[in-house]
Amino acid sequence: MTVAAAVGNTTPQRTPEPEPIVPASFNATAMGGRFVIHLDVEWSGRQPVRGAGRHDGRAAADNGADAAADARRDAHVVIDRVHRWAERLTRHTETSDLSVLNSDPRSVIPVRPTLAAALLAAMVAADASEGFADVTLLDARLAAEEGREHTGASRIGEWQILRRHRGSGIVRRPPGLRFDLGGVGKGWIADRALDLLSDWPSAVVDADGDLAVRTAAGRAWEVGVADPRSPDTHLTVLRLAAPAGGLPVRWGVATSGVSIHRWPSDGAAAEPARHHLIDPRTGRPAVTDVVQATVVAESALRAEALAKSAVIAGSVDGFALLERSRVRGAVLLTAKGDVLALPVTLPLLDR
Amino acid sequence: METPTNRPVPAAHAPKSKPDAWPMRLALGAGGIAAVSALTAAIVMPPQTVTNTQVTQQTVQQPLSTPVPASTIQVVQPVKYVQLLPGQTPPPGAQVISPADPTPRTVVVNVPAPAAKQPAAQPPAAQKPVYIKTTQSGTVVP
Repeated sequence: MTVAAAVGNTTPQRTPEPEPIVPASFNATAMGGRFVIHLDVEWSGRQPVRGAGRHDGRAAADNGADAAADARRDAHVVIDRVHRWAERLTRHTETSDLSVLNSDPRSVIPVRPTLAAALLAAMVAADASEGFADVTLLDARLAAEEGREHTGASRIGEWQILRRHRGSGIVRRPPGLRFDLGGVGKGWIADRALDLLSDWPSAVVDADGDLAVRTAAGRAWEVGVADPRSPDTHLTVLRLAAPAGGLPVRWGVATSGVSIHRWPSDGAAAEPARHHLIDPRTGRPAVTDVVQATVVAESALRAEALAKSAVIAGSVDGFALLERSRVRGAVLLTAKGDVLALPVTLPLLDR
Repeated sequence: METPTNRPVPAAHAPKSKPDAWPMRLALGAGGIAAVSALTAAIVMPPQTVTNTQVTQQTVQQPLSTPVPASTIQVVQPVKYVQLLPGQTPPPGAQVISPADPTPRTVVVNVPAPAAKQPAAQPPAAQKPVYIKTTQSGTVVP
């Protein structure tokens, strides 16, 4: 049998790539940083391309004004909810659920549903990151912030959260062990906020740079990866597209690094960098050759945990961890100025 | 009339004993295995042992696209990893790294086009706006 290969006689049929979505954006301030909801509300021709397929059974974009009004209403509902979550999870107010837990002298403490869910998410993040995303490092972080010496590493195995009725929980931990949800809290809030926007097949929740993204079939979001050396430029642009005819695709995109959130040093040349990413192995700010890591995963929580881990672990161990974790993409900026990406990232790069 | 006699019938001829075949079979089997081994050894070269100190990795990087306008992204992929033995030299343009360096991976670089190659009359290509950005959190400390 002869198999003939038609080379050059046929042109492969390529599906035209969708234009990037131009969103309606709703800004707020939450969790000490910016919080933005981007919704796909545009109308294209006679087809309700953007915002179509809403779960209430009607086309969202019957006309542009209705879609915009729907978007504004839904975004503000979610922003209000995010404010309530953030109030319970912050360590910067004494009355938050987290601060109450941290100041409680007992070793077994009941917690309310929001904090219980966030602490469960912290367990998931720690597991996904092989222990690098550790919420027990508050004392080490405060020591770094204040320029104090800190001894003692991770206490990640010393606490647990048990779920109770109606979503509440019981925390068991040694007295004195304090939590800092930090990026884990942001990732958890971004994912939950996107859940609340389930009427919108294409939506992005931006929790101070950590993104929970949903892309409708045949649509594409473009996400710039900020260059920390130049605020108005991008290291690259990621294109998060969903194939036409399929289901919406969910993504998480998060960036972590040591070049922004850091504290002035005392000027000693030999002094190690003072930044907020604490290495759980040492209890001190990580000594790393990675300036910034951006990870694409299936959720913002997981992306945030792995981006932080890649920075702390350094480029060699970080890439190995990201490959083991089967992320959907990763872009690292090293101290030498190289921009490195896992090969799995290539389909996402906007060319 | 002859009557049957009770003449003794000569005893059946005893079969002649043959030599045992197993030693020969074993010998032929062992010879066959030896022959196959020799042929295998002749066909398949044993791997060369290369110590770490002899190995240098090189990455030949090949642009995926032709020169692009300024401020756009050019993706550069590592195409080959070649082990150089002592005395070998890398091909022109190859970047040679030391064995201690981390394994090279896909590199994404911003490559501005040379200014001389841009036609003066042509306005610069408008950059697509990007509405969503992933960033590190926090504020910049000067």
